[in-house]
Amino acid sequence: MYTLYIDTHDKELVFVLFRDNEVLAQKRRVSEKHSKYAISLLDEILKDNKITIDDVGEIIVVNGPGSFTGVRIGCVIAKVISYTKKIPVKAISYLQAEALSYEGEVIVGIADKNGVYGGKFDREHKLLGDYFYLSKEEYKNYKEKIIIEGKIDLNKVYLYMKDKDSINPHVLKPIYVKRLEVENG
Amino acid sequence: MDVYILAIESSCDETSMAVVKNGCEVISLSITTQMDTHAKFGGVVPEIASRMHTEVITLVLEDCLEKANMKIEEMDAIAVTNKPGLTGSLMVGVEAAKTLAFLYNKPLIAVNHLIGHIYANNLESKMEYPLLALIVSGGHTELLIMEDDYKFKRLGETQDDAIGEAFDKVARVMGLSYPGGPSIEALAKTGKHTYELPKPVKEQDYNFSYSGLKSAVINLVNKEKKQKKEINKADLACSFQEVAIDELVRKVELALKNTNIKKLVVAGGVSANKYLKAKMEELCKKYQASLLIPRMLYCTDNAAMIGAAAYPKYLRKEFSDYSLDVSSSADICS
Repeated sequence: MYTLYIDTHDKELVFVLFRDNEVLAQKRRVSEKHSKYAISLLDEILKDNKITIDDVGEIIVVNGPGSFTGVRIGCVIAKVISYTKKIPVKAISYLQAEALSYEGEVIVGIADKNGVYGGKFDREHKLLGDYFYLSKEEYKNYKEKIIIEGKIDLNKVYLYMKDKDSINPHVLKPIYVKRLEVENG
Repeated sequence: MDVYILAIESSCDETSMAVVKNGCEVISLSITTQMDTHAKFGGVVPEIASRMHTEVITLVLEDCLEKANMKIEEMDAIAVTNKPGLTGSLMVGVEAAKTLAFLYNKPLIAVNHLIGHIYANNLESKMEYPLLALIVSGGHTELLIMEDDYKFKRLGETQDDAIGEAFDKVARVMGLSYPGGPSIEALAKTGKHTYELPKPVKEQDYNFSYSGLKSAVINLVNKEKKQKKEINKADLACSFQEVAIDELVRKVELALKNTNIKKLVVAGGVSANKYLKAKMEELCKKYQASLLIPRMLYCTDNAAMIGAAAYPKYLRKEFSDYSLDVSSSADICS
């Protein structure tokens, strides 16, 4: 069985194909406009491996946090494939994907140009409380250690998601974390 | 052979999909609007709009296909608005369209939202050329000659604000709810044209200007407020609406006279205004010209018009590839 992994939350557009529990192929492209390249890259990874979308048994999508537009692109693609082709979809946050690389309780983060997205995870890698966003200033004064490595282990992500339930594509949505200015007003 | 196009529209605050047959027959149309959400902020908040499009995109697809009782496999093409509009919002529809085109190996057709508004008229009755096209919306005020399918020549356009934008801003300063068009129209019905407002721009060219008129209303409201006088909102709404729309009528009359074209189509959100419709009917009668204005449902943003505008491109095989981009602005004539 093939699993398609989609990650568009950051500058690098990532498609990964898993077969029989291991990474079979990856396509990566650093771009400012994921929308321009995403479908072509998806097309390539399937063609290169001589399969079609109908051979894919499951989708794992990184649903944030990160670039709002970027995350939306991955989510829309995953929603549309899952809904139309009836392929189960599972979502994981990039922060949780990062946390999988650590034993015990850990706070992991993703830096963007104005601050840091963070999340605290227990030893089972479950989120404790809510995701949060710290401005640069808040981050400087933050009492606890936040690991901002940015690297994830794809095999760990795959194994962790293996026994997780898929979600209804209609309700799949991005994790934004950051509040909008108008919502604060 | 009949041509079925699945069309997607997400350029502003409506998420819509439609199945359109042969560019003129609406098989199904699904629209969800975010208007109530944005009304709280007095206008469309782009990031919220993008988020809401994302949340409903597959639901709208499901609704559209169920209403049509058709499958994506039966479509001949996937069409989508890629400009002009809010880029984040456009992106959601475009990504969904690309994904569908890819999954089902269908041609992808990019449609200009404004051209969509014009082609909404084909859903009512086939447009015959040459014709005069007046586009009136929140972002555009343009008068064009259409010589054939997708052959446009611009006569004039607004030099500053679009007419719909002026309606929204005037409504806001008068404390009326968003969107301003319907609010002003409803209030104007109970009022009289008593306020003297400046008539926009030059006599003999086709260009429009609405910022002067808008500012005059805003100044008037502020002045009365300062002097603690009550403005008569109904009368002001009526005065503003008449001046704004009479200006459209004047320019269209000039064009009917000078070009001798006997057909007029009106398109865009403001064409839902009943005073505008009545005045254009009167004018066309005078010049023995035929008038096409789509029904209300096709005047405001909807995907059926995108399916209608995609049809000539389908026949000419003008397809886009997966690198199709979005743009906030667009020129019909280029």
